[in-house]
Amino acid sequence: MAQFRLPPNSRIRKGRHFAAPEGAGNVRRFVIYRYDPDSGENPRMDTYDVNMDGCGPMVLDVLIKIKNEIDPTLTFRRSCREGICGSCAMNIDGGNTLACTKAADSISGDVSIYPLPHMSVVKDLVPDLTNFYAQYASIRPWLQARTPPPPDRERLQSKEEQELIDEPAACILCACCSTSCPSYWWNSDRYLGPAALLAAYRWLVDSRDEAKGERLDELEDPFRLYRCHTIMNCTNTCPKGLNPARAIAETKKMLLERRH
Amino acid sequence: MSDYEFVDHSHDVVVIGAGGAGLRSTFGLAQAGFTTACITKVFPTRSHTVAAQGGISAALGNMGVDDWRWHMYDTVKGSDWLGDQDAIEYMCKEAPDAVIELEHYGVPFSRTEQGLIYQRPFGGMTTHFGEGIAQRTCAAADRTGHAILHTLYQQSLKHDAEFYIEYFAIDLIMDDTGACRGVVALDLATGRLHRFRAHQVILATGGYGRAYFSCTSAHTCTGDGNAMVLRAGLPLQDMEFVQFHPTGIYGAGCLITEGVRGEGGYLTNGDGERFMERYAPNAKDLASRDVVSRSMTIEIREGRGVGRDKDHIHLHLEHLGPEVIEERLPGIAESARIFAGVDVTRSPIPVLPTVHYNMGGIPTNYLGEVVTLKDGDPESAVPGLMAVGEAACVSVHGANRLGSNSLLDLVVFGRAAAKHCAATMQPGARHAPLSSDAGQNSVDRLDRLRNARGSRPTSEIRLEMQKLMQNHAAVFRTGETLEEGAQLLRKTYASFDDVAVSDRSLVWNTDLVETLELENLLQNAVATIESAANRKESRGAHAREDYPERDDENWMKHTLCWVGGPGTVCFDYRPVHRETLTDEVEAIPPKARVY
Amino acid sequence: MSLRSPLGKVLGSGSAKEGADHWWAQRLTAIALVLLGGWFLLALMQIGDFGYEAVRNWIGRPVTSILLLLLSATLAYHSLLGVQVVIEDYVHGPLKIVSLVLSKFAHAAVAATAAFAVLKIAFGIA
Repeated sequence: MAQFRLPPNSRIRKGRHFAAPEGAGNVRRFVIYRYDPDSGENPRMDTYDVNMDGCGPMVLDVLIKIKNEIDPTLTFRRSCREGICGSCAMNIDGGNTLACTKAADSISGDVSIYPLPHMSVVKDLVPDLTNFYAQYASIRPWLQARTPPPPDRERLQSKEEQELIDEPAACILCACCSTSCPSYWWNSDRYLGPAALLAAYRWLVDSRDEAKGERLDELEDPFRLYRCHTIMNCTNTCPKGLNPARAIAETKKMLLERRH
Repeated sequence: MSDYEFVDHSHDVVVIGAGGAGLRSTFGLAQAGFTTACITKVFPTRSHTVAAQGGISAALGNMGVDDWRWHMYDTVKGSDWLGDQDAIEYMCKEAPDAVIELEHYGVPFSRTEQGLIYQRPFGGMTTHFGEGIAQRTCAAADRTGHAILHTLYQQSLKHDAEFYIEYFAIDLIMDDTGACRGVVALDLATGRLHRFRAHQVILATGGYGRAYFSCTSAHTCTGDGNAMVLRAGLPLQDMEFVQFHPTGIYGAGCLITEGVRGEGGYLTNGDGERFMERYAPNAKDLASRDVVSRSMTIEIREGRGVGRDKDHIHLHLEHLGPEVIEERLPGIAESARIFAGVDVTRSPIPVLPTVHYNMGGIPTNYLGEVVTLKDGDPESAVPGLMAVGEAACVSVHGANRLGSNSLLDLVVFGRAAAKHCAATMQPGARHAPLSSDAGQNSVDRLDRLRNARGSRPTSEIRLEMQKLMQNHAAVFRTGETLEEGAQLLRKTYASFDDVAVSDRSLVWNTDLVETLELENLLQNAVATIESAANRKESRGAHAREDYPERDDENWMKHTLCWVGGPGTVCFDYRPVHRETLTDEVEAIPPKARVY
Repeated sequence: MSLRSPLGKVLGSGSAKEGADHWWAQRLTAIALVLLGGWFLLALMQIGDFGYEAVRNWIGRPVTSILLLLLSATLAYHSLLGVQVVIEDYVHGPLKIVSLVLSKFAHAAVAATAAFAVLKIAFGIA
């Protein structure tokens, strides 16, 4: 049955408070989820009062400042810091987004930071994405064609055909969308989630791919695809401005069209 | 040492790094039937190849005449004749095939009206040996690296390659004969040490941009493979050559692709002047990156910068119109909005030359084998060890890399490494037993840093190093600043003995990983600044104000730099390969480099 | 704890190759319900006299009977489809199948009851 309370070992305690140094003028408060699996303790919310003078504008800049200057044990993923690698996806001020492109200024009041929702937490802001990656792999995200490509030149594709894959291929696999989806929260073991379905759609509409039928066969399932209830959180939260909800709707239309 | 027990693995080949070069090697090897492990500290699609924007060069001739020989000429000239011409020939000749192969794998390249791969002009890319402007850079809008990296990961999935994701490689396992036998890596999720035994280790660990304060590189670009090679007693090559990209966003440092200028964008100074016309009358804004970066620096230094402090330059693309920007440069528009608060259809982007790429690295030949100077032989291959990508110095980029040649480098030499293994090795060959203390060097290193209880936090030492490199090994250099920088860096390096690690946990200890990375960065930084002080000429990206001329007589040679103990260095040299690989093209003799 | 590979878990028992019909039927019945529901509300507003005899007479009219039969069948089917989704969403483990079966039975019973009532009045048997 659906669970309506967190299991005892997941209930969040109040954590430590790191006050800003004396005389710091421009102070903002960040309340951050902490979980240390080594300690065996329940997760807690630590509070950091950060002097924003000399700090970069993005939430990731603040996290790095905290790690560098206040608490080196704070753990999070990060890499490119320009919104293209998808490492620093987390729940900031109630929404899933990339810490590196979310300006602290765009949030009013205290800033709360949690890991991506409804995922197993490895440590602090680091979620376990194993299942998410396996879902991506499960849709066979590579070009499948029986017609051999020309030996010495590219397969042709018109500009219009290319435009169809341009946007869905821009997904960075940050998992913001899937982990914002209530349907994914309840059924991530069987529902593929918006990110994997967007990836599947990218190949369904690629004019070079010849496995559309098999791909649709694999997707047509009450859980894999049809757990999408058009909640639209995915499209709402995507930090790259992509539209997985539309891709899913288009996929459902394709499935309908091939029977009529 | 009961704290650390190894989990042992045996593979035919181990690849370290899952960026463009690492992935291309990995699935090439898997395809050839080798049991291959790809060890990577981040999930493959998070590797920094993902941030490459403008494109990948190949003389396809889709948008006008082209010839791989012209591409080769441009690359040799771009390298300021420090590039090895045999390797450059190989790369430019293989380029069309490698790019077509990528398209066949499904890379979502932008298209021409005829349905061919779209190609744009890029800096230093010409036709007819410098006469015209070539459209040679194949693009997927302005996220070509993303498109290629994701496709390569997809191919790896297709070929069921074996990945060890979020494993941090600590050190190579070298045997008494000087051969590489494997590597030890830390599993971040559990904190356990894994010992990988392999007939061949391929380093694909990328560059070390994070040795500098302001760089376009990701936080993860920490030169881990380079440092592993140094600790294995092998040299790095041409480390003085660090490329400054002309257009990093002022302040944030994020990259704005050269493709912007390829599509018609241009730079202006504080007077609103298109100053590149003065420095490079022919190529103008599409001159080679070192030339543009130096020109910008001179403008700023002579008081013609823009902004309140006259400390940056403007990059214009307003005149291109919203349609072109939307179709070909959407990512740039997004980055400029987020990181500079600029609407590129209305205002210029504030930019500054920013550390971007390391031409230097692990010396290899064009097959990908790591080479060193041994018993007087400058081409002596290190058994069991290969390197590809930015970590390697093949050297195809010489003293200065041309834009869009790096993605090409990754796929061509990633593929070449896999091919070379297929040609020289048998899948499933028996492994000789490792010595009983194999991997002990990694254990010692890990244990030392895990229990480091000094007084200087990792971040403090790192910041000191980054600022120092930024100030003392910049676009323009003098013997004085370099010597001073080297001296300061020695002190900083020495203070690493006093480093403090606060996180004592085993699971996902990023404090520890950042400290391991810092040690790697320090070793790269030492090699860089010392090599720079050592090279007394100006060539490509290495611009010495006290030696403003190129000196082919004394310095047309690769620097080899060994880093020992606490930052002590010694140098030797390898000759530049001035001969081509085949007789399909003539060697390009050195001449003055003007754009 | 399961030691099955992550990909193995995701691939599971494979695709059911079903779901398009359910999805389409749910939308089709939704459209039908908008039409039938609209008629039903309009018709109720026009009855005026809600006395026992008046309503019986209204139900007994052929057009009303047919539309009411359609309405109750469509409503029951639409509800069946919707409740099935809710159960699949929120109920896991062995209770799920039990709930699905009970829901099917309950919907069949409601639909049959409604149809019986309408037909009984329509054919004036009582």
